[in-house]
Amino acid sequence: MELLSQAKKWGVRSLLIQGLTFLSVLTSAFMIWKGLSLFTNSESPVVVVLSGSMKPAYDRGDILFLHNGFSPIEVGEVVVYKLNEKPIPIVHRVMKVHTENESGKQYLLTKGDNNSADDRGLYNPGQTWIQRDEIIGRVKGFVPYAGMGTIWMNDYPYLKTVLLGTLCVMSLFGGD
Amino acid sequence: MYNLFQRLGSITSLAMSMFMALLILISATTPFIPSNPTHEVTLHDVKTTTGRMVDPADRTSRSAEYARLTFDLDADLTSMFNWNTKLLFAYITADFESPGFDTNRIVVWDRIIRNTRQAKLRLRKNHNKYFLRNYAKTFENVRNANLTLHINPVPYLGIMYDKSMTTIPLDIPRPEKRASGA
Repeated sequence: MELLSQAKKWGVRSLLIQGLTFLSVLTSAFMIWKGLSLFTNSESPVVVVLSGSMKPAYDRGDILFLHNGFSPIEVGEVVVYKLNEKPIPIVHRVMKVHTENESGKQYLLTKGDNNSADDRGLYNPGQTWIQRDEIIGRVKGFVPYAGMGTIWMNDYPYLKTVLLGTLCVMSLFGGD
Repeated sequence: MYNLFQRLGSITSLAMSMFMALLILISATTPFIPSNPTHEVTLHDVKTTTGRMVDPADRTSRSAEYARLTFDLDADLTSMFNWNTKLLFAYITADFESPGFDTNRIVVWDRIIRNTRQAKLRLRKNHNKYFLRNYAKTFENVRNANLTLHINPVPYLGIMYDKSMTTIPLDIPRPEKRASGA
């Protein structure tokens, strides 16, 4: 009940202004994300490494900054790709590149540094190569372990509700 | 005056800004740290065979030509280790042009070098770690083949950058005829 009386004290106008500020923060964050996606030509320019298949270079929880661009993929680059039917992006190194000269079409084979076999076992059945358009981006920079929070929230979903709950409680009772 | 949350909040936002500035400075300066690695690759032998099933993931591998290389490698990469080097990724690629395909690049050997103790490489008569075959089934009409050694440093934090390579020519011969046939 004290919440309602507090709200009445502020007045409808200031509540609306607060709502508007909140919305504009949200939308500018969204715009920055989408702008970055356009600039890097990548649907997801910042990803978190989920598996240990690229150890010791990249470990679980590292944040990777990707830049896709339009140029052909070069061998030895570490790329993030997402197969057409599978929802999970994979970070591995490109081991083989064959580029057709007329169409510019590329046939790529990838392998995780920590895996002994190449990725053909991970591809869709019958698929021996991946194409340029399945690549989300090449790894251009990274920050180690900065994404561990995302991994914990994925592994322990109740953490998400705890975090959300704490934020709600803090925002309701913190503004005095 | 200021409560605990406000103090925590302003400390956190200052820490985040400092971290961002540090990240940018580290990323921008690491590629310019000088290094003088030495490396040399010597190719001894290339043998092409066909008719054996080498790759279980590839149904066409039974009739395709596979090349086997024998090479030496001498390298001193200790100067490439600076404070921001997590590891060095050394790999050798075979590059060639073939009919219909402008670029073909295949990694035939790689190694992860984690510290300066492992950075002096001395390989003798090593073979390729990974299968070397053309996209087509045969190496016929392949031109301008060479072997290139690349060294790629991976930093602890910051931008990935490329450093250092060495190229030697490669000649892929026609396969020897096998009595048992393909």
